[in-house]
Amino acid sequence: MAGREDIEKMILQVGLGDRAAFSSLYDATSAKLFGVCLRMLNNRAEAEDTLQDVFVRVWQKANLYSSNGYSPMTWLITLARNASIDRLRARRAATVDIDEVHDLSDTGPTPEADAIASSERERLNSCLDELEPDRSDAVRRTYLDGDSYKELAARYDVPLNTMRTWLRRSLLKLRECLSR
Amino acid sequence: MSAEEEHSDDIALAGEYVLHLLDAAERKAFEARLVQEPALRDLAREWEAQLALFAQDIAPVTPPAAVKSKLESRLFAAPERASRGLRRWIIGGMLALGVIVGAAVLLPVLSPPVPSLTASVVAEDGSLVVAANFIAETNTLEIERQAGAALPGRVLELWLIAADATAPVSLGVLPEDRAARIALSDSLARQMTGAVLAISDEPPGGSPTGAPTGAVLAAGPVTGV
Repeated sequence: MAGREDIEKMILQVGLGDRAAFSSLYDATSAKLFGVCLRMLNNRAEAEDTLQDVFVRVWQKANLYSSNGYSPMTWLITLARNASIDRLRARRAATVDIDEVHDLSDTGPTPEADAIASSERERLNSCLDELEPDRSDAVRRTYLDGDSYKELAARYDVPLNTMRTWLRRSLLKLRECLSR
Repeated sequence: MSAEEEHSDDIALAGEYVLHLLDAAERKAFEARLVQEPALRDLAREWEAQLALFAQDIAPVTPPAAVKSKLESRLFAAPERASRGLRRWIIGGMLALGVIVGAAVLLPVLSPPVPSLTASVVAEDGSLVVAANFIAETNTLEIERQAGAALPGRVLELWLIAADATAPVSLGVLPEDRAARIALSDSLARQMTGAVLAISDEPPGGSPTGAPTGAVLAAGPVTGV
């Protein structure tokens, strides 16, 4: 797989309108981003469409990319997640069956993927472990399943405001732990 | 609220923003602040980086090959154009090998056709920044709202003021999405060169009269790339 610097270079080239670099960037990163779309959407056809949306955004926005010391994969993954959320929210606006969506998306990480998790990821995990299980689960669901406060409140059977207070507190604790 | 409380409020708010937990109004308000507050932008980026670690657990899945070809035809237009594009790349390869000299003569042919014209539609105080890229091959105007947003209950409408025109022509109301794509008619597309793009503040649905009715918030000339 292409390294961080290679990917960065490709994004910068794409920002200049370089189609060959766009093709290389797609080859280097589409599998990971497709994995993200699939994980969030749990539907192959939708994930394929969303992956296209992601790379359309990459093509349009690459000229705005600046690393500022962050990994280029963070930028790409954020685009993939945002495109998936857009689709999820559109889908959920069309159907009210929240339970179904939840049951579908209950897949955990594969053992193989666990093995390659980085030390940074371990740190996030250990910080999540400092939260009560329900709370860390809620943060994870929000990120990976795109749950809204309404959906979280229904899942944990608490009023929406309580849910929001919980989650905001969890975020602050998480942040405090991560910056230790 | 004390300064410290305000800061932790912002930390949580930035996290909620990155997680897409804010409702539409809160999100808009947060984005308006993002434009003006670098510290808030940093908070949001830090959250993005930290939360993206969740995605490390996700195993890569190779997408079907058809996705890439569909994507490329979606971005780079019609099939006959694609073969022209291919020829361009072959010529590019030969150039790189030094087979052809006199590159300067060929450069205009070789440069990627996207975009051909560009404009930065910017408010005087920087409160609204919209980048527009015109792709002549497909008569498409790609819009990216980089800063600012419509006022609550109002919309932003984009106008083309052609070089020799006496009145602006509406290109439509900008969607809430930051990025948009506008298909132009041939006659409008021909007027892009030397034109000015402007954005006005309008009621929902856009100007009822066909001419700007609200304040002109931002403007910028269309220039070659």
